[in-house]
Amino acid sequence: MSAEEPEPSADQLLAMAYADGELDGATRREFETRLGREPALVRAVAEHQRIAVLARSAAGPEPADFEWKRLAAEPLQRGGLGLGWTLLVAGFLALCAWSGWQVATSDLELAPKLALAAVGLGVLLIGGFTLRARLRTLHLDPYRDIQR
Amino acid sequence: MIVVTTDLVPGREITETIGLVRGNTVRSRHLMRTIAAGFRQLVGGEVDEYTKLLAETREQALDRMVAEARAHGADAVVGVRFATSEISSAAGEFLVYGTAVKLAPKR
Repeated sequence: MSAEEPEPSADQLLAMAYADGELDGATRREFETRLGREPALVRAVAEHQRIAVLARSAAGPEPADFEWKRLAAEPLQRGGLGLGWTLLVAGFLALCAWSGWQVATSDLELAPKLALAAVGLGVLLIGGFTLRARLRTLHLDPYRDIQR
Repeated sequence: MIVVTTDLVPGREITETIGLVRGNTVRSRHLMRTIAAGFRQLVGGEVDEYTKLLAETREQALDRMVAEARAHGADAVVGVRFATSEISSAAGEFLVYGTAVKLAPKR
């Protein structure tokens, strides 16, 4: 810790101790009760867990790592992959829109059209809310930065 | 917390066997990464996306096992073993298990 950094607060010290598994018995239970109602404490614990996990999994880079990093930074590599992904996603979305339009303007009766619309909407809703749940908890996941 | 694959910890003696502790998790990469991994499989070499997936899974399972051992007041987990299985083509499961024990300096 450098001289400029402020001293950790009592709650930060508690969060560190909890993340390191150093709280016992009543203290731990009391802290876990607070975790249920104090999002700032949850974030503090997640941050300490992330640092601990990273420190534990830190390993010297292999020679290929340098080459992968250099390749990933090359404009040609970045541009080519970016263009590929953009075309893939745009093409998929266009295909979905076209399929929807084909169904909507087809000679199908109303009932199967409504059923297909329900399936499409259901997929969108489930996908959207699953993504929402993941994004809401992403910053609390200390394991997503592990490389190997 | 000492975590070892051996049955004993050198320089210490086991004073109490608490019992089996384990941690497991199933994780997956997002769709884009899975597609990228599919392309990597076409050309060979390390599939970085899956290496990362299994590393994430391993660390989380290990942490869960250690958390269970701590909750039981253990000093160490001995005889640790790792097991993996495939839940689906894009998700990996890691199970880590061992025996939680209490230690004391060897007399």
